[in-house]
Amino acid sequence: MEPMELQTAPVSEMATSEVVSHSNAVSTPIAPLREERRRKPRTWETPPAPVPAPHLDDYKSIVGLPVIDELRFLANGLKGKTLKMVNSTAVGGGVAEMLNQLVPLLNELDLRTKWDVITGGNDFFEVTKAFHNALQGSDYKLTPQARDIFLIHNEQNRKRMEFSEDVVVIHDPQPAALVRGREDSSRRWIWRCHIDLSNPNPDVWGFLRPFIEQYDAAIFSSQSFTRQLAIPQYLFYPCIDPLSEKNKDLDDSFVQQVCDEFGVDRSRPIVTQVSRFDRAKDPVGVVAAFKQARKYVDCQLVLAGGGATDDPEGATVLKEVTESAGEDPDIIILDLPPWCALEINALQRASTIIVQKSIREGFGLTVTEALWKGKPTIAGAVGGIPNQIIHKLTGALVHSVEGCAYQMRYLLTHPQFAKELGENGRKHVKENFLMTTNVRRWLLLCRILLGSGTN
Amino acid sequence: MTTATAPALPRTSVKPFYFNTSAHLLRITRQKANTLAEFLDALRECPDGSIFEHTFRTLEEHHFIGEGFSNDFAHWVLSSCNEPSLAEGLASVDVREFTSVADLRDRFIQIVQIFLQRSAEAATRASRETFYFCAADAVVIPTNFVARTLHEFSEGLRGVSVHCIHHHFIEARLRLKLMSNDFSQWLHEDLGLTEAARRLNRIDIYTATLDDVREQIIRIVERALI
Repeated sequence: MEPMELQTAPVSEMATSEVVSHSNAVSTPIAPLREERRRKPRTWETPPAPVPAPHLDDYKSIVGLPVIDELRFLANGLKGKTLKMVNSTAVGGGVAEMLNQLVPLLNELDLRTKWDVITGGNDFFEVTKAFHNALQGSDYKLTPQARDIFLIHNEQNRKRMEFSEDVVVIHDPQPAALVRGREDSSRRWIWRCHIDLSNPNPDVWGFLRPFIEQYDAAIFSSQSFTRQLAIPQYLFYPCIDPLSEKNKDLDDSFVQQVCDEFGVDRSRPIVTQVSRFDRAKDPVGVVAAFKQARKYVDCQLVLAGGGATDDPEGATVLKEVTESAGEDPDIIILDLPPWCALEINALQRASTIIVQKSIREGFGLTVTEALWKGKPTIAGAVGGIPNQIIHKLTGALVHSVEGCAYQMRYLLTHPQFAKELGENGRKHVKENFLMTTNVRRWLLLCRILLGSGTN
Repeated sequence: MTTATAPALPRTSVKPFYFNTSAHLLRITRQKANTLAEFLDALRECPDGSIFEHTFRTLEEHHFIGEGFSNDFAHWVLSSCNEPSLAEGLASVDVREFTSVADLRDRFIQIVQIFLQRSAEAATRASRETFYFCAADAVVIPTNFVARTLHEFSEGLRGVSVHCIHHHFIEARLRLKLMSNDFSQWLHEDLGLTEAARRLNRIDIYTATLDDVREQIIRIVERALI
């Protein structure tokens, strides 16, 4: 995809502390603009076509030849083996996005991999959405009807699908009951759980657990997301693709263009948080921390995210953030549609430090993205973030607004230390959280479960 | 008095050195700790693979950190339990002084036990974060590098990944049951380069990244070539 053309306006002409909505369909900001001086950038009105999946050799320049060779050697032990991935959607969402990249790479390594998607009516997906939320701690009353709907649709899918592969991987709770279809004990069934099960609704978990324990193994994204189970549990960290729009290298001229367009002054330090306008991400806390830090050090704050147009709570949170920012000319709030990956990438690259002050979090892939760009990163010590940020070694972990403000001040005034954190953070991601590492984990798991050469 | 000429060092080995590497998959075990007392219990009960993972393997995983990281136990005790003296004790354990995981486990247990005898009140204080014991399942895989000469050995060292360096240089002692490593063993036994082998064993893996360790190994090997 070609970078978009951006209209630019001199920084001096731009109003600040305004919400700029870049979803052209809904461009009315929540708060009235003080002045209509900031022009709306011409972003894509609809999502751009997906970028073709990369090949293994495309990663060579990033991770090095020995890493690619290791993948090929690992795959050699799986010649002739087959794998099937099953999830609930072919487009949208992190799982589909990951499978879109992973499946071609596994096939390129001659591990013949199929990807099937379950079908179901609205009633099924309403139930599974409720299950999804309940498993992450929401209140929910499990009814016999919901159980029946879940089982009937799983059974219909089981009859429709074939499971002749050596390894079958079922993603998330929606298709979890497909395991009842396993007939041949020589095949291996794996449940890949992408959600946080640390505090599930007991009724829903009690209903699903007997299915989960029929699998040969379960995979979780963080140690803290697991439950005690009678089957082996493996740890697969989520990953980012260094070749994706959101993470690939960008020309500095494009970064400059985006900053000019959004009114971000690159001659002064930039503190950025990229995340949905969601209370779990504590954007109001970020504004408060920024205001404390700025008493001591000159800087700007960019809050770039989305979710305000398609989520009523998102709109409320955006309003709260805008109010807390007040008339501050150095706080720039951007409400972007989900397909603005290139702009997010550019803003992250332009940043001096990146913040993810979450008070609840999944794995926190925005932290991974920030670290990959070599940015000194401050983040809340929740969810999967401590897996990525080792305090004072690959970033800074914080537990409060005051802690966040202190780390902003410290990192902005100790650029050498900040640089070292950023460099370590990037190496940590290169080693543990890139797509190539994910490929390696799948190959390893298949070899271990199929007994194809373990120590 | 006659002067004996030192015999030329054999530069070609009969037995080639095959560079291998190991890939590890993390398994989450049943043990976890929210206090130091629970931590001590878990240290006693966890599988050997957990001790290996949180000491040997974590060095590999964090190989790019040159200073300030020793093992996961020490890191958790400092960052989540705020017990710097215990953390220092745990961090000072050098995995290269151990040729068995059982001995390594005993050392950690001993350090925690002694600390809790002196600071009993610390035993049940809740940690900020839970420590989850993991274990590593390993698969050994070959690389494209084989060395028959010192020159090929040096080229191999440059070409392989840091995982390969970790496999032969750090993990090896658990396989060999010797205070040594695969590189030193080959240099000593197959090429007769005893001094180079000895010097490799003196490289400090805790004050250098694995890439720095690789560079130091290469320098020693190339000096032996002269």
